Amino acid sequence: MTHLASRQRSFSDVVVGEDLPSVEFPLTVYRLVVAAGGNRDFNSIHHNTAYAQATGAPEMYASTFFLMGMWERLVRDYIGPAGTIQSIRDFRMRKFNLVGSTVQVRGRVRDARLDGDRGIVTLEVESVVDGQVTVGPGTVEVTLPAAGAAR
Amino acid sequence: MSEDLKAPDWKAEWQPLAEAVGRDFSDRTVVFGADAVEPGTIRRYLEPLEIGCPIHYDAEAARAAGYPDIVAPYTATMVYSVAPMWRPGEPTVYESAGRDAQLARSPINNDDMPLGPKTTGFFATDISMEFLRPVTVGERVGRRGQRLLSCTPKQTSMGRGAFMTWESELVTDRGEVVARVRTGTYAYNPVQSEEEQP
Repeated sequence: MTHLASRQRSFSDVVVGEDLPSVEFPLTVYRLVVAAGGNRDFNSIHHNTAYAQATGAPEMYASTFFLMGMWERLVRDYIGPAGTIQSIRDFRMRKFNLVGSTVQVRGRVRDARLDGDRGIVTLEVESVVDGQVTVGPGTVEVTLPAAGAAR
Repeated sequence: MSEDLKAPDWKAEWQPLAEAVGRDFSDRTVVFGADAVEPGTIRRYLEPLEIGCPIHYDAEAARAAGYPDIVAPYTATMVYSVAPMWRPGEPTVYESAGRDAQLARSPINNDDMPLGPKTTGFFATDISMEFLRPVTVGERVGRRGQRLLSCTPKQTSMGRGAFMTWESELVTDRGEVVARVRTGTYAYNPVQSEEEQP
C-alpha cells in the first residue's frame, strides 16, 4: 500500500479553494507521553494532570511542538516527498488541546502561483476540537514541482 | 482599594521589559541542541504524528526527492536546538522524590527572562517560522539571538502577566541560517483555572 505522503502532487494538480484531507489526532495520555519523548518538551503541563491544573489549566495539554507537527502531517500528506515548506505563519494557540479530546487538523488551498519551474501554494490551516478552533487559522506556504519533476 | 486601582502596580513591574522592546538579550553566540539530526530522533519525532513520508526514513527516497540525505521534519528544526537537560559532570537535576517535583534546571523555561517580575507560569502562545531549507542527517542545529519585539502586560483567565514576542534564528554547525522564528509567550502568575487559553 502506498502511503498518502509518498505520492507526489504537482502544481498542476492544485485547485484553489479545495480542501485538504483532514487528519484526526485522538489525544491520550499515552500519545502525549510518546510525543514528549519524541520532541523533548518534557514540561509537566504536557503529561501531568496535577501539575497542569496547578498552572491554571483544566488538564494536561498538547505541546507547541506536537501541535506544529500535526500541521506538518496534514501538509506533508498533501505535498508529497518533493514538496517543501517555506513558512508557517500565525500558528496561534487559542485554546488548550486537552488530553481526552480529538484534534482535527484541516486545511484549504488559498492561493497558488508559478515561480519558474516550481509552484508556490498558500494553505490555510487550523486545528479544531469539538467544532472550536484551537490553533490558527494560520497559513503554510509550500512549493510543489510544476509537473511532477524533482524539486 | 478596588482591583482597578491596584492594577497599575502589577503592570508597572513589566515596564522595564516593555521599555526594552527592540533589544537582543543574547550575546549572539549559537547555543546548540543536545542531539545531532539523526534517523532515530527523526523517527521518534514522527511516531506520535504518524507521518509516513519516506524522505524522513529512507536516504534513497530522500535523494530521489532532491535532498542530500534523510530529511528532518521542518517543525522539528527547533527541537534540534533544545539543549540537554543534563550533561556529564553536571549535578543531578532530580533533587527530590516528590511525585510532581520539577527538574532543578530545564532547557525549556523562561528563567533567562532578564527583566520584569518573577513568574511561575509560562507557555508559548503563537509561532511563525520561515524555513530557508530543511536540515538533514548529520547536521547540528543551534539557536542564535533573543530579540524582544513586543511586551504587553495583561490579566487573563490564567493569571496576571505579559504577552511577549521574541525573535531568533536557527543555525547549523556550518553557520548556515536555516530558519527564522518568532515566538509569542505568556509569562504569568496563576490566579484561577479556566479552559480558555489566553
